[in-house]
Amino acid sequence: MSFLAATGLAIGSAWALYGVGTALVLAGALGVVLLRNPVHCALSLVTTIFGIALLFVDQHAYFLAAVQIIVYAGAIVILFLFVIMLLGVDRKEARAPENVRLLVPMALVVGAVAVAELLALARLQYWAAGAKSTTQSLSGPGSDIQKLGQTIFTSYLLPFEMTAALLVIAIVAAVALVRRRSQPPPAPPRKSAGALRHPARAPEAPGAAVRPAATAGAGRSAAAATRSPAAAASTPKTSNETREGRAVS
Amino acid sequence: MSGGTYLVAAGCTINDITGKISGLCTAKGSIHISINYPALVPFFVLGGGALVVLLLSAVLPKRPYRGLWAGLTVAAGVGTVVDGLVQWQQLNGSSVTPVTLGDQLFYDHMGAFFAVLFGVATVAGAAISDGYLEREGLDGPEPYVLMLSCSLGAVLMADAAGFVTLFLGLEILSISLYAMSAYHRWRAASGEAGLKYLILGSLASAIFIYGAALIYGATGSLQYLGVVSFLADNALFQNGVLLGGMVLVIVGLGFKVAAVPFHFWSPDVYQGAPTPFVGYMAAVAKAAGFAGLLRVLMLALPTLESTWRPIIWVLATLSVVFGSILALVQVDLKRMLAYSSISQAGYVLIGLQAGTAQGVRAVAFYLFTYTFMVIGTFAIVGVLQGRGEARNDLSAVRGLASRSPWLAGAMLVLMLGQAGIPLTSGFLGKWVVIEAVLGQGQYELALIGMLGAAVAAFFYLRVALIMFLAPESPGAPAGGAVTLSATGGPGAATAGGGPSDGGPESSEPGDSGWAAGAGRAYSGSDLQAIVTAGLSARDRALALRPPPHTRVRVPAATAAVIAVCVVFTVFAGVSTPVLSWAHAIALPWSA
Amino acid sequence: MDQFLPILLMVVLASAFAIGSFIASKMLGPRSHLHAAKVGPYESGIAPRRELAARFPVRFYLVAMIFVIFDIEVVFLYPFAVMFRQLSTFGLVEMASFAAVVFIAFAYLVSEGALDWGPGKRLGSRAGAPVTRSLNATVRRVARPGTPPSARPPVLVEGASTGSGAGARGLDPVRAGASGPHGEEG
Repeated sequence: MSFLAATGLAIGSAWALYGVGTALVLAGALGVVLLRNPVHCALSLVTTIFGIALLFVDQHAYFLAAVQIIVYAGAIVILFLFVIMLLGVDRKEARAPENVRLLVPMALVVGAVAVAELLALARLQYWAAGAKSTTQSLSGPGSDIQKLGQTIFTSYLLPFEMTAALLVIAIVAAVALVRRRSQPPPAPPRKSAGALRHPARAPEAPGAAVRPAATAGAGRSAAAATRSPAAAASTPKTSNETREGRAVS
Repeated sequence: MSGGTYLVAAGCTINDITGKISGLCTAKGSIHISINYPALVPFFVLGGGALVVLLLSAVLPKRPYRGLWAGLTVAAGVGTVVDGLVQWQQLNGSSVTPVTLGDQLFYDHMGAFFAVLFGVATVAGAAISDGYLEREGLDGPEPYVLMLSCSLGAVLMADAAGFVTLFLGLEILSISLYAMSAYHRWRAASGEAGLKYLILGSLASAIFIYGAALIYGATGSLQYLGVVSFLADNALFQNGVLLGGMVLVIVGLGFKVAAVPFHFWSPDVYQGAPTPFVGYMAAVAKAAGFAGLLRVLMLALPTLESTWRPIIWVLATLSVVFGSILALVQVDLKRMLAYSSISQAGYVLIGLQAGTAQGVRAVAFYLFTYTFMVIGTFAIVGVLQGRGEARNDLSAVRGLASRSPWLAGAMLVLMLGQAGIPLTSGFLGKWVVIEAVLGQGQYELALIGMLGAAVAAFFYLRVALIMFLAPESPGAPAGGAVTLSATGGPGAATAGGGPSDGGPESSEPGDSGWAAGAGRAYSGSDLQAIVTAGLSARDRALALRPPPHTRVRVPAATAAVIAVCVVFTVFAGVSTPVLSWAHAIALPWSA
Repeated sequence: MDQFLPILLMVVLASAFAIGSFIASKMLGPRSHLHAAKVGPYESGIAPRRELAARFPVRFYLVAMIFVIFDIEVVFLYPFAVMFRQLSTFGLVEMASFAAVVFIAFAYLVSEGALDWGPGKRLGSRAGAPVTRSLNATVRRVARPGTPPSARPPVLVEGASTGSGAGARGLDPVRAGASGPHGEEG
């Protein structure tokens, strides 16, 4: 009797961590998709990340579990929360339900097709046939972080250095897109008489000065701004600059 | 030079194929791998160029010299081309494909070929961007840094020997392109294009890496050669995981090349992104995606050929058919070129479907010649559209033959090249592609390709016809907007109102007076009816608007690029050096 | 595996604390019937139809994003630190090149002012403002009362004063209250 209990306990404990991790991942994923308030969705994402970290621990990849929590939950979810804060989508007025009526039926159909494809691939039998070494745990002496260090800095040296390039372009892209330039430079003075037909009017651009770069409306006011001739553009520009200077402090 | 040998201290054991080190190396000698520096020169040149531009922009005052950033980018591109040619020469002796740098990189003819392609695209892209960015008032070194890193990612994708390196190249390429698409901060369409590209592209990258992970799970190796050797030694009786991985990888890379079920991002992104960047993107992203697809399918998964060839057959057919048909109803030039580019991707997929050395040769040749054609075309569109990308529709090219004959001639050659008219490189490209599939007995695919070319010829020739369409209207359009002048001809002195002053975007309904007036005045003309066939009424009116009557300003660098593209299109169509280079790439498969 | 037991214990304790304080506040707190009118801000009795989004400088987001990028760089340093001795010079060179590349991006970042905080940059310095009227600018810059003479903008009027309560002599008569000649524009 105790032997059965012991084996049951052994098998159970081997699967416990995996079960808990999977349950957290799925619960968090469902939460991200189904919850209404975007902040709640971000917190569900943290649950998912924690579940993935548990799965890493189950695979004896302790360093990766820690990195997952530090980088993902500690930095990337913070980024999500910043965006939610920036855009203000967590206010009640912004949380309107989707307008597409067929969305839920379409999602159900696509989901059913995906499950059917998975079952077809599995052929309803064993379908994890593959190389044996990938299903074992890490072999050899040394901890996981040491093995990781060895592999990164020898075999995967090129991907490592290319990651530096990836980080660089992320920085460059971020700075390039967030730069504050409120108004396009004035069009060069035109020789045709048509240039004077449009009165110089202050562009409706000041709102665009403080909104993040990719917003609608900037294109329209830019089109209006480019029509004003060069001479009159300096006055709107200075008033715009003072408005911008006040607004960003 | 054989890669994959490690100089390690005692106590370590290294798996030669996967490169895994097991056991802890405790001796004091350092562990390191042998690095084949000549293979890394394109990376040093492109990456170093990007870093030099960044560093200079950090230390120099703003706007130091006109064209400094573009000049540095062109220099880096030229360096890449030179290195590719040198690499080609050095490799001409050996026939084996060495893998280097810890089994992560190929150092072979295909890598050299694609390095030359990406270097050329970088040079051309930087040259045409310079004039555009100055006209639009967008300064700063960022587009050039992003362009160089995009080329870096592309070279990485073409040289990759494993899925991790391929994924990194894909990500570097994609993120640079997202930022470049959103770069025009005063056009809402640009931000929209960047956002759409980012969201869909990230999804596609996630799908790709999941597929790579499944292939790793099935074969135990992330390197292409490791996958091939595993599949050669073991027959998987239940290969669901492997198939799933292969399909997801095809989906991820198919997104990048805009093959049809995965093409929905392409028209919007091409329409919204700044025009020279679109030309660069169309050349580089497609070539890189196809290089990756080529290596993965032909090098890593040749044993699954009977499975992936039907998949590619379907993708090719859909791309050719839908790309050609949907381009017929577009009035926006950039959108039309996006759909045309989708159909050209279909032709490359036809070449890939062949699965033989001839197919590889066809793919490489088609991509190389397409680079020149598409960059030249977008350069011309970029020059014609005016400040703020005001005029992107067919009316922008109207009467170009009288406004600027050289530009019209260049556009004519490029359009004919893309349509596949004989004596151009496009014709030769389609020829070799169809020849490759005919060699495999795929008669239906060849027929679909030829029919698609016939259909596509219409919208290419439509552009050519509109260029020669006289801008004078038979009668003054009655009523309508005050701003529409009587003839709208090139000599009119009154401002035509909207278009030349950077007026409303062409996607707006515009002044209803124009549309009504234009419809009434032009309804009798047969040529105009033929030329605008297939367009909706509103689009027809847009297409038949009088063109902007300002002189077309072509910056010198852009003119040089257009000239080179046109000359190459004709040159590659009547002579065979490029074809023989493509043939040299395909040698490993001609066993 | 048992080194994770303290973490599990801490998770349990933290959740217990959170849930407990939630329950406690619900039970011990005042039972108020939350009415929309009681909770909303009072502004002249007119209920706002929609809340306006607070203006949020995008600088915060940029700092968070730059943090993520450098966090990833630091994560690569952990395995390097563990394998430092085995990797000796080769590893040092490759890690140094990685760090140098990211450092160049950092230098670019600092030069662009993406990490600058403080009040918004003053576009156009005070010294450059015209002190006399011209066709482009009819505004004349004057000093506030009480500024020391060294900090006053230069005034190109004869007999420039050394400072008084009302500022420089070039002060607008309109501003000083005196009815000056009406040729002066404010």
